[in-house]
Amino acid sequence: MRPLRIPLILIVLIALALLPLYGSDTIVQFGISTLLLAVLAQGWNIIGGYAGYPSFGNSAFYGLGAYGVGIAMVQWQLPFAVGLALGVILAVVFAICLGIPVLRLKGHYFAIATLALAQVMAAIVSNVELAGQNIGLVLPPLNDDALFYELSLVLLVAATLTVWWLTRSRFGFGLIAIRENEEGAVVMGVDTTRYKVLAFALAGVFSALAGGIHAYWITFLDPESAFDITLNVKMIIMAVFGGPGTILGPIVGSFILSAISEFLSSEVTSIAGLFFGVVIVVAVVLMPRGLADVARRFHRTGWRYFIENIRMHRL
Amino acid sequence: MDLLLQILVNGILQGGLYAIMALGLALVWGVLNIVNLAHGAFIMLGAYISWYSFSWLGLDPFIGLPLTAVLMFGVGYAIQRGILNLVARAPMFNTLLITFGLEVVLTYLAQLVFSADFRTINPSYSGRNIDVLGVTIPVVRLAASGLAILLTLVMWRFLLHTRLGRAIRATAQNLPAARLHGVEPRHLYAVTFGLGLALAGAAGGLYGTVSQINPYIGATLTAKSFAISIIGGLDTPLGVIAGGLVLGLIEALTTLYVGPTFADVASFGVLVLVLIVRPSGLLGRTA
Repeated sequence: MRPLRIPLILIVLIALALLPLYGSDTIVQFGISTLLLAVLAQGWNIIGGYAGYPSFGNSAFYGLGAYGVGIAMVQWQLPFAVGLALGVILAVVFAICLGIPVLRLKGHYFAIATLALAQVMAAIVSNVELAGQNIGLVLPPLNDDALFYELSLVLLVAATLTVWWLTRSRFGFGLIAIRENEEGAVVMGVDTTRYKVLAFALAGVFSALAGGIHAYWITFLDPESAFDITLNVKMIIMAVFGGPGTILGPIVGSFILSAISEFLSSEVTSIAGLFFGVVIVVAVVLMPRGLADVARRFHRTGWRYFIENIRMHRL
Repeated sequence: MDLLLQILVNGILQGGLYAIMALGLALVWGVLNIVNLAHGAFIMLGAYISWYSFSWLGLDPFIGLPLTAVLMFGVGYAIQRGILNLVARAPMFNTLLITFGLEVVLTYLAQLVFSADFRTINPSYSGRNIDVLGVTIPVVRLAASGLAILLTLVMWRFLLHTRLGRAIRATAQNLPAARLHGVEPRHLYAVTFGLGLALAGAAGGLYGTVSQINPYIGATLTAKSFAISIIGGLDTPLGVIAGGLVLGLIEALTTLYVGPTFADVASFGVLVLVLIVRPSGLLGRTA
């Protein structure tokens, strides 16, 4: 299995990259949203999966990225790339300003401080004239789904390479140490606050880029859609379902769950949301380390795997 | 001056309601060490139960409150016994995720079952006001706020002076020792979570008499309850009442001086500010 892994990944990657040549328009559009969700899940993986600090407000970055592109292109008539850069800058500044007070604290403070982030950002932005207030911004249309698809794919590859780098760098080991035992990490000389803020900012950068691409693709943004709360739900569930703290888990999770959710929402819209909620509850009870861990251990333990998980954590 | 006075009164009335909202969260957090991200969604559920018993059974929202609380207690007992006890010894991360999942389930279930329409509980006396020194006090708001504070105090007496209350506090302080004295934690955890949800249900019923209900109010209410808990502390309900009043006043003043859309921003700002000023949290000994 192991020696086959890299060629296998390359084949899948080439197949994905060539998708616009053989896939229908609907497939390519579904592909764009799935890839962007996978980027969000991968971004969440950095702070939630590796550092063990679950953020419930990463869609704030997504919205900032979207507004970076929107403001640059509509209000200042600048090119798309500058807009992306502006979004990234906004996200990093935001991550540092919020992260320094909140990430000095232990897990649950951070988690809840991020819980209402999307609503708060939407409330602020809807009062900013530059951002079009409640009405939103209409971007110049660019009808090139293939381009957006390839951009999203490149972004996902970049995010994944970054996560891969985490598994073999000092910075990544520091984050894992924080997740496993924060006091221990401090004792070992990890500057925990700086590491956590950097991880939060890194997650923010990828989320902002995803938001920027999405905004230009949809050509419209308003506070409600840019700071979409359901995105938080989706990215967290996809990362947790696939395997938080693994390189490929969040991607596998988002591909599988996107496909299921696409199928379900063609039936009834709110069923898809309900499904996500049930998946996260069941996943936390039965497979808290995600599909990646099931794949590693299931062949040895069989169905006992799930029972073992319950037995380990129940009261 | 009259306007300011009126705003202050509104803030205090809202603050009473906030106190009972936060009390359930603080109880569950302090005793079970579960930060219940679905707390706001349970408040929403309580508000709907109250709405249905008002519009279907014609039950006055204040008289129907015990019914809501009892139903919510049952829901809470079942959820802790059936789901949350299964992850009780897992890392905090897992309990956060699972209650987040519950929040998602409740929100979408509410959207499916109750529809996304805005609803209000309007008893016949809902338009009535009392005038005191030129300040208008709506009867419903006064009753809701007074009842909320009363219930908060009753809860405190219960925790201090009953056998069950003592068992709950003992469990919060030292689980192994409580176990040695014959406390069955699975049952007691479920009772505590049930009480937390009964409080959330009561808070929801009172909330429905003064504000609009829809399936999406949960997350904001959770964040507010959390802010109040860390301002006031988990130790005494008096702290929660104080925290509720502080938040109510801050929101009312923000509405007056900055603008109504910023009220939620203000409560979030308070939360972050408290975390900056007192990075260890304002929790006192349970922190």
